Amino acid sequence: MTRTTEIYLHPFILMEFRLINDGWRDAYENMAIDEAILIGGTPTLRFYKWRPSAISIGYFQSMEEEVNLKECEKQNIDVVRRITGGGAVYHDSNGEITYSFVCPQEMLPKKIMDIYSLICSSLALGLRYIGLDAEHRGINDIVVNGKKISGSAMTRKYGNVLQHGTLLLRVDVKKMFSLLKVGKEKISDKEIKNVEERVTSVEKEGGVLDEEEIKRALMGGFEKKMHLRFYEGEITQEEISEAKKLREKYESREWNFKR
Amino acid sequence: MKAENGILRGELKVRGGKLIKCRMKVKNGRIEEIKFSGDFFMYPEEKLEELEEMLINIELKKEKILPIIHHFSENVEMVGADADDIVKVIMKTITN
Repeated sequence: MTRTTEIYLHPFILMEFRLINDGWRDAYENMAIDEAILIGGTPTLRFYKWRPSAISIGYFQSMEEEVNLKECEKQNIDVVRRITGGGAVYHDSNGEITYSFVCPQEMLPKKIMDIYSLICSSLALGLRYIGLDAEHRGINDIVVNGKKISGSAMTRKYGNVLQHGTLLLRVDVKKMFSLLKVGKEKISDKEIKNVEERVTSVEKEGGVLDEEEIKRALMGGFEKKMHLRFYEGEITQEEISEAKKLREKYESREWNFKR
Repeated sequence: MKAENGILRGELKVRGGKLIKCRMKVKNGRIEEIKFSGDFFMYPEEKLEELEEMLINIELKKEKILPIIHHFSENVEMVGADADDIVKVIMKTITN
């Protein structure tokens, strides 16, 4: 591929991206901040974590069909509906790094699948820097040795794109599936009965477990693949006040149980 | 098909794609209420609610449902499932 083609494919060459190296927040705040950043559209990569641990479900999913609510209550797990489609995810306080990626729509390819490919292959490249043989597979998965280590979901709104997703650092499959209701049909299609056989983590695969090093590696993947350059930034006051308003939606029963 | 309090339920795992579930109430051979759910992607997302409204009061026959969903699909981009899968899950829900 010639340099010119690359520029044509990625018009945001050497585009400046804000890096928000965030810490723990609760589920409602995390989803509200992602949407607030999406509304503003400042090109941003945010890393964050969830406390308390939480389950997020896809925009089109039914809370009652996907989530074992009694068990969540018992274990103090928050539940929230995302604005992005896709599946239900258990976000363990100490078991994962979540990322969110925002930029104006015109900076990315037009086709949804092309955006997934670009972002997921950047993440996979980053994971290779920490010693994992990672690749983008299917629509929105990243796999290592055939097992899922990361899942992502995307939406386009307000002229901008938000893709967010998780990277499993360590995984407690038993806990995960005590909280989620996993449909038999979904598993049987993949011809694997035991879910432990289809999910893995950085720990299981023997990758580097230093979170800051992992984040730097993921940024490196974006820099190399998408020609981004990061500067350290913060969530702006405007985004914070927008997120405060949005939080009410994410906390509401009306939103979370709409399907 | 599973009927529970008059609600029909069905689901379809799209090969190489995502899962679509359908929940439906039927009255006199017409759709009284219908809801889809699942881990698929549709852009813009809010369009799904429009489809669910468009299907209300439609006769439960494939030839009536098919054109509505195909027309609808012209204005959305779906990933992990497509218009035919929506038709399939409806038919599966009523004719298991």
